[in-house]
Amino acid sequence: MRYSAFSLAWNALTGNRNWTPAWRDAAPQDYYDVVIVGGGGHGLATAYYLTKNHGITKVAVLEKSWIGSGNAGRNTTIIRSNYLMPGNIPFYEWSMKLWEGLEQDLNYNTMVSQRGVLNLYHSDVQRDVFARRGNAMRMHGVDAELLDREEVRALVPYLEFEDSRFPIHGGLLQRRGGTARHDAVVWGYARGADRRGVDVVQNCEVTGIQIFAGRVSGVETTRGVIRTNKIALAVAGSSSRVAAMAGLRLPIESHVMQAFVSEGIKPLVDHVITFGAGHFYISQSDKGGLVFGGDIDGYNSYAQRGNLPAIEDVCEGGMAIMPVIGRVRIVRSWGGLVDMSMDGSPIIDRTSVEGLYLNAGWCYGGFKAIPASGAACATLVATGSAPDLIKAFRLSRFATGHLLDERGGGPFPARQ
Amino acid sequence: MTRLVCPFCGPRELREFEFYKTLPAGPGSAFARIYERVDRPELSIEHWQHVEGCRGWLLVHRNPSTGAVLETRLLGGAAEGGAP
Repeated sequence: MRYSAFSLAWNALTGNRNWTPAWRDAAPQDYYDVVIVGGGGHGLATAYYLTKNHGITKVAVLEKSWIGSGNAGRNTTIIRSNYLMPGNIPFYEWSMKLWEGLEQDLNYNTMVSQRGVLNLYHSDVQRDVFARRGNAMRMHGVDAELLDREEVRALVPYLEFEDSRFPIHGGLLQRRGGTARHDAVVWGYARGADRRGVDVVQNCEVTGIQIFAGRVSGVETTRGVIRTNKIALAVAGSSSRVAAMAGLRLPIESHVMQAFVSEGIKPLVDHVITFGAGHFYISQSDKGGLVFGGDIDGYNSYAQRGNLPAIEDVCEGGMAIMPVIGRVRIVRSWGGLVDMSMDGSPIIDRTSVEGLYLNAGWCYGGFKAIPASGAACATLVATGSAPDLIKAFRLSRFATGHLLDERGGGPFPARQ
Repeated sequence: MTRLVCPFCGPRELREFEFYKTLPAGPGSAFARIYERVDRPELSIEHWQHVEGCRGWLLVHRNPSTGAVLETRLLGGAAEGGAP
């Protein structure tokens, strides 16, 4: 069913009895041309663009639980393209452009809200660093504005300007950045892929990868063996564990990152604000809850829950820059697993096993990349060669020294 | 997991400690030693430092799926990666 004002009115007048499910609850078949492991944003987007851009429809997306139950539903929904490195900016800007047309493309309301992403700076040196980042963005055609203290104050007067450990000197603003509804992104891609013939198989955990003579020949799942010649892994957070089924060792550690939602309050935060000096960032959902987070917990973890020291750290950061939220209560907090790579950048590449493709290493920034990651990964799987925009995301870059280290922090996943 | 037991200082709050890295995958190439990780869900062998205490380097065995600390001891010689 195509969604439109007409379909909405027609269904309302007929008592909402004729809505059809947005996607089928598919059962796995014996063979697929491409099997995508992981029914999150990246996996479903890969399936969608495989059918849309490359006409490959004999595709299955295997999800161990329900789609979007992993990190796709645990992030803080921020979209932006305010990167510094030449290998990153064009890719994330491509993703941003896809976000801007996503709702029309998918015929689904993903609630893309370009409310602006504001990064605060607190010293002359940090201003220079942010000016450089903004200039790099503008040289790539991305919008960036360097604001001074008074411009920031006019934009977000409720921050602490007078008496803070890190006084606000200004900010770097990307007005086209913002948020999107993470569940709707998953549902929209699932529906779009399903309408083009993809089987979205839920409650189907991959337990093994079959390899014959150096090529993938199938996957073993909790719902039987599925034969295939191409497998794409899109299981960020668990990439090491799943890749180990094919005998691969990755330059990745799994860490946990937490996020928080407060009780609903009246509209206050109109932008996404990041306070990097204090490890805190915040936005406000359409329901009124303040959505915020900070650093990763800081040590290797497969537990999808966080620890108290990180909560304390985030709340201290929030109180330092935005004491106005001090009496707002937190209603939920949760943790998600992140693939922390050795240079803080993702990996979309072939592997040493023929027919096995890897989409991993998204660190704490995978959500914004979903459209471009899916489109690029689909091209890689369909044609066997990587599009130019992901050439910097090769797995081999760690061996050849072509690191894409946005932070320049060395090979320490916990510090990216 | 809210505390680690430092061999010198005894049980101390987790925020006194800093995680450094999980142990490299093995004694292979320089590339493998620096970049490749084992990353098993049931056992993680890690280097930590008691930065806000004795500053000793620790070898910690943990279950990263449950957070249970299995063993904490002072980091030994080169066989365990050595102190960086």
